Amino acid sequence: MQNTTHFGFKSVATEDKQDLVKGVFDSVASKYDLMNDILSFGMHRLWKRYAVAAANIKIGDKVLDIAGGTGDLATAFCKKVGTEGRVILSDINATMLDEGRKNLINHGIFGLDFVQLNAEYLPFEGGVFDCVSIAFGLRNITDKDQALKEMHRVLKPGGVLLILEFSKTNSELLRKFYDFYSFNLIPKIGELVTNDADSYQYLAESIRKHPDQEALKNRVLDAGFDFCEYHNLSAGIVALHKGIKV
Amino acid sequence: MRFFVLEQTLNYLINNQAIDISALNGKTLNFSLADLPLTMCFICGNDRIFVAKNADPNAAVNIRLELNVFVSLLKGANLTELLKQDKIVIHGDVKTAQLLVDLLQLIDIDLEELLSKYSGDIIAHQIGGWARRFKNSPLLAVVKDGLMCFQIHPTKPSRYKNNA
Repeated sequence: MQNTTHFGFKSVATEDKQDLVKGVFDSVASKYDLMNDILSFGMHRLWKRYAVAAANIKIGDKVLDIAGGTGDLATAFCKKVGTEGRVILSDINATMLDEGRKNLINHGIFGLDFVQLNAEYLPFEGGVFDCVSIAFGLRNITDKDQALKEMHRVLKPGGVLLILEFSKTNSELLRKFYDFYSFNLIPKIGELVTNDADSYQYLAESIRKHPDQEALKNRVLDAGFDFCEYHNLSAGIVALHKGIKV
Repeated sequence: MRFFVLEQTLNYLINNQAIDISALNGKTLNFSLADLPLTMCFICGNDRIFVAKNADPNAAVNIRLELNVFVSLLKGANLTELLKQDKIVIHGDVKTAQLLVDLLQLIDIDLEELLSKYSGDIIAHQIGGWARRFKNSPLLAVVKDGLMCFQIHPTKPSRYKNNA
């Protein structure tokens, strides 16, 4: 019997999900930042800023940003670690990574490393990073538990994992508005700006299929982290999970 | 989120005043108030401290005390004296507890904000507290960066003086 997983609300063969997600991001890469600003009303910048602050990054730290896309987090980390540190911007999608590289060069930010990688098999030795981050990327990974175990493996003792991801809002009123916005407006805005409604339909659906705050916390702990706490942002529309490897 | 600012402040101090906390690395310490449902867990590692709201059942040190003792401790009371007077209960290594207390004594914690959630204080008090701290903070530049809003004492306790 064929193994299946979800791709939004659809059930697809496990081995097909990666290519389907690739298709989504190939399609939206060039307007990814613009769409993030439009769809979140600019809030994604504040969420990311909060995540960077929560990492307690020091000068000289080594940071791995997974599914780093256009480089928002990596840029902020770069400023924190200084010239003595190292930031690796990684993504499974070459088109997104290319957008990230162009974006950073346009902003005069150099000195990062760019690695195209699959988060389920990180090509690094164990215990090398002070911080591993993944912002709005975990829900697109086929085997999340395998990816979380890899993130745990590459962290140093005392290292921190940051997962910034859409989650479940705890406000019933907000949930109704959010559902309407997600399934009626987001695909239309996607069609208008990127000429691709399907990718944004997937965005809305994949958020609903993603584990809620408590479920993700348990999966982070199951992956080997000694501590995990989450911070709800914007009433739980987004949550920052912070896993610590002692 | 509750202890975010406390955590930020501690790590800011550790980094910017070059405080050596290597003795705390790999240790977790629970700090709980006997008369309020407030527990803080300090997770130390890799020369930084994370503050969590849930106690660690395997913590190296458990510190339990009453609110008024907590206040006096933060204002500089001697830990050993409080222990002698049975005002504080410590399970675990007292030296490790002392290191954490020394760190906490470096910062001017706004108890009004920290405890209002538990003591039923009103929002106006919080806003007032934030405003006062913002106005007085020598770290205004950092505050602007969205990081913290605590006033930090210019001096260190003796334990940390040689580490700068």
